[in-house]
Amino acid sequence: MSAFEIEHVNQVFGTGTARVQVLHDVNFAAEPGTLSLIMGPSGSGKSTFLTIAGGLLTPTSGTVTVGGKSYAQRTAKQRDALRLDAIGFVLQAYHLLPYLTVADQFKLVDRVKRGGNLPPETLHEVLTQLGIADLLDKYPAELSGGQQQRVAIARALYPDPTIILADEPTAALDSDRVKIVGQLFKDLATTHDKAVVIVTHDARLTAFADELYRMEDGVLTKQSA
Amino acid sequence: MFLALKEIKKEKLRSGLIIAMIALIGYLIFILTGLALGLAHENTDAINSWHVQRITLNATANTDMRQSTLTSAQIADLTSKEAALNEVSVVAKASGKKQQSAVFIGIRKGEFIYQNLKLTSGRRAQAAHEVVADMAFQQGGYKLGSTVKLGSAKQAYTIVGFTDHAKLNIAPVLYGQFATAQQIRGAVGTVASAVVSKRAGYTNPASGTKTYDTQQVIEKLPGYSAQNLTFGMMIGFLMVISLVIIAVFLYILTMQKLPNYAVLRAQGIPSGVLVRATIGQSLLLVVAGLVIAALFTIGTAAILPAAVPMAFDLPLLTAVAAGLLVMALLGSLIPVRAVLHVDPVSVIGG
Repeated sequence: MSAFEIEHVNQVFGTGTARVQVLHDVNFAAEPGTLSLIMGPSGSGKSTFLTIAGGLLTPTSGTVTVGGKSYAQRTAKQRDALRLDAIGFVLQAYHLLPYLTVADQFKLVDRVKRGGNLPPETLHEVLTQLGIADLLDKYPAELSGGQQQRVAIARALYPDPTIILADEPTAALDSDRVKIVGQLFKDLATTHDKAVVIVTHDARLTAFADELYRMEDGVLTKQSA
Repeated sequence: MFLALKEIKKEKLRSGLIIAMIALIGYLIFILTGLALGLAHENTDAINSWHVQRITLNATANTDMRQSTLTSAQIADLTSKEAALNEVSVVAKASGKKQQSAVFIGIRKGEFIYQNLKLTSGRRAQAAHEVVADMAFQQGGYKLGSTVKLGSAKQAYTIVGFTDHAKLNIAPVLYGQFATAQQIRGAVGTVASAVVSKRAGYTNPASGTKTYDTQQVIEKLPGYSAQNLTFGMMIGFLMVISLVIIAVFLYILTMQKLPNYAVLRAQGIPSGVLVRATIGQSLLLVVAGLVIAALFTIGTAAILPAAVPMAFDLPLLTAVAAGLLVMALLGSLIPVRAVLHVDPVSVIGG
């Protein structure tokens, strides 16, 4: 069974002359163990696709099904719980809470989701892989943009989600770090059987993709990986 | 509370400034409350010390004990629960001392006010020219055995005892004999100003009198209600100012955090966690401010001279502190609204 499925999704913003159709009959399935990469220019609808996939936006038409149940069948509270338990959002705008140290960013998750988070040794492995294991007592303001982005990635992975939705996760990273992060996402997909979906401009990530898609003018097209 | 504590710990200067502002407002409110209560006590201490429920005055006295005149017929047949008293405003003078406005209250030996008079030193007045004085006289340099003249009369009165909490309408009281008050007053046919009773259902049956609840008489003390209203208004305004300060500061702090909260919401952190953090932060800041304000108030109370009319009542101050906490809760509602409306989609761009 797919980790999540998007069927015949259309998204329209505005009305009358201001009406813009951002997504056109989008169909997509994220499979466990697969890293899907969606590329496309700015304004092509990638972010809207991601917000709909994550249950943050209800599409104008079409359905999004996660774990056999559509978002429309879930309450807002249930969608929150689903995102916390099963969906790891890695956002380009990482906005780490400035008054929490790196360690506290994970403690916050512990306080909200009391079970099922990564065990300490696994978290340490992830942090080590991302090169931020020695930054646990630092505040975000003491970190570089790249370090903050990697903390945000680790923070999204900490609840051990089955689905990972990433929005430009390598925007602030140099090529070496892109390889590390790309490999981390690839490992999460292949080794840990997670469904990883990344929307990005960054062509350096194509090397890690199992499935490659292109989004243009709201139309999603599958490419050969 | 986790987020609230972490933020306060990290943002020490910012939190410190808010706490300092709340502490100063809280301190001002506590001091004003103490002053209001102190002045209120100085208006009513004597009446309160009698522990009476009802007061009978002349029906035409406009509920003013000073203006009331009762005849001997109107104070006849009193039970042991009643006492007659005769109040006269006087100016007390003694050589080498400043003139002191005071209230002479004539009381009868066989009645409960005389019998229950609590002395801090000396004895009760037994002869016509003896008085028991409020502690304010002692603080003004009078001693047991000192003599004092009242108004322009040549007669000197000897202070034979001192009593505490004996002020009426802010003036210190001199307790003397009933007949002496009549003599000072000089009104023909008048023997008393009032009859006070410990019985809640007491009503004087004599015609020409009217019996009031004690609180009614207190409310009519000159300036008493206006003073309480003024203090109440000042304290109320300060409460509202504290509400505005808390609301504005928290709103600014929260608005700065909205992008962070949007990310957390996108990641499934329930808005309840963020709301609790906002309210918790508000309460923590106010509690910290109130603790400092309370310490300042205790320090102030310790060094204030006795002449300053301040009284601190723990239940009242606790109620004021609780009021400030309620203001903090109300003040956090505006930022809470912003938190509830944060849109996680706003942080997913590109």
